[in-house]
Amino acid sequence: MLERIKKWSISIENTILAILFCLMIFLAISQIILRIFFSSGFVWADELIKFLVLWISLIASISAVSSDRHLRIDLVSHFIPKDYFPFIRIVIDLFSSIICGLVSWQAYRFLRLSIEFQETVLVNIPAWIIYLVLPFAFLVMSYRFFLSFCHQIFKIYKLKKL
Amino acid sequence: MILFPIILLILGIFGAPLFAVIAASAMLGYQQEGIDLMALPIEILGIANMPFLSAIPLFTFAGYLLSESGAPKRLVRITNAILGWMPGGLALVCLAACAFFTAFTGASGVTIIALGAFLYPALRQDGYEENFNLGLITTSGSLGLLFAPSLPLILYGVIAGVSIDNLFRSGILPGLLMLVFLSGYSLWVCKENKRTLKPFSAKELISSLRESIWEIPLPFIVLGGIYSGYFAVSEAAAVTALYVLIVEVLILREIKIRSLARIMSDSMILVGGVLIILAVSLASTNYMIDTGVPEKLLSYITEVVSDKNHFLVLLLLFLLILGAILDIFSAIVLVVPIIIPIAVQYGINEIHLGIIFLAAMQLGYLTPPVGLNLFIASYRFKKPILDVYKATFPFLVILFITVIIITFLPSLSLVLLPD
Repeated sequence: MLERIKKWSISIENTILAILFCLMIFLAISQIILRIFFSSGFVWADELIKFLVLWISLIASISAVSSDRHLRIDLVSHFIPKDYFPFIRIVIDLFSSIICGLVSWQAYRFLRLSIEFQETVLVNIPAWIIYLVLPFAFLVMSYRFFLSFCHQIFKIYKLKKL
Repeated sequence: MILFPIILLILGIFGAPLFAVIAASAMLGYQQEGIDLMALPIEILGIANMPFLSAIPLFTFAGYLLSESGAPKRLVRITNAILGWMPGGLALVCLAACAFFTAFTGASGVTIIALGAFLYPALRQDGYEENFNLGLITTSGSLGLLFAPSLPLILYGVIAGVSIDNLFRSGILPGLLMLVFLSGYSLWVCKENKRTLKPFSAKELISSLRESIWEIPLPFIVLGGIYSGYFAVSEAAAVTALYVLIVEVLILREIKIRSLARIMSDSMILVGGVLIILAVSLASTNYMIDTGVPEKLLSYITEVVSDKNHFLVLLLLFLLILGAILDIFSAIVLVVPIIIPIAVQYGINEIHLGIIFLAAMQLGYLTPPVGLNLFIASYRFKKPILDVYKATFPFLVILFITVIIITFLPSLSLVLLPD
């Protein structure tokens, strides 16, 4: 069941990333065409491209958790025996899960504040729609790290049995 | 209270994701200063205010797409037609093609995988010595970092707030210096190797050029567009991404539409990994700047270090160690905002500093024990890591010499800049 959720969510992430990316190319190219041929352009388009970069970065960060591609100092893994990996990973994954959870909570507080102040971006869009990605992405990352943490415990349990 | 930073440091060294470590340290700092932790997400939003940042995902995607197409093969064929007739020519082909390719794909290790896969067996087949081949390919994998439009150059420009066009100009001569030194060394080592030399053939050159007819305009669009001031960097990136997409998917049909989504998300994961570190470190560096860390560091350094050259020596040492443990992107994001104010005090040009920084970081890819390229090569060519260390060492020494020249000869980086 969990496996199936994971598979589904990964393909959803990939689709979202592809859509956001295509949208970014489209907007950037149309801005260039507008600038060169019509010496005009939309002010909101440049702002939207920047928000797209933000969205892409955060959603890609979620994917980077499950594919284990977050940048880290890869010093220790080359020098210690493989059997100790799960023990280190337990600590690291739990730590990352807690931190992401904390950031998500703070982002949620910020989101509520933004709704309260009725902040707007992109001419007249409520800003919270854009900011929504922050608490969401960090929450999912926190969840993913927690899953990985459980997975490592399971690994150690299996090792002990052997 | 000193305990928490030490715990974070240990977690980082043991491989905790850097963004989590940085976010934690920022929140810790806020906590101590009595700043609301809500400041962290607000700082993260700061990446939506950085100019030209969209160039990074766009160029990364174009690079991934190129490396999955037949472009690497065609690139090697052209360079081989131009340089292959010399004794040791294939080694030069390797250096030139890799440098060109890395500039376009942004030094994430794809070069070794995309080009090394067929250059390595080709070198062996032509009777080049095994150890030399291994060292050459491993080294070539990060060559070209200093040439436009490499991602580290763009990232440095965004973070340091200096003109990316100027960075692109100033990287040319230092990059060529590296290329010339490595070529000289390779020619000297391979001067005896004349086994499979073919004479220069104009026919082969024309036919190889014709084969790449669609990719040849690419460098002209990008570099011509940027250097002439016609395109901003982010615009050039968008044009490149669209152009590569059309050529490789619709015209040459080497990449199926079905695999496009995978390539997009694959390349975006790299981008996300870099930009999330950038986002959280906006918070931590702003905190450090607010609490006066650069000033404290500066007053401490000025007590010990009196003149510019002395400072440059220390800077170089620091960067070499940094490059050996941190990847180039994280290093730029974390360290550049702190060292720029210090370096400027010593009269070092910000653009020259960028070139020094990247050149030194390039060595980091090859520095034992943990240089990224060493591991990619060891994995890709199934060689013990110690063999890769040994094979790469002479190349590392040569690059080190060029980095010293680049550091102490600022005019090399600055002479091509407009007044």
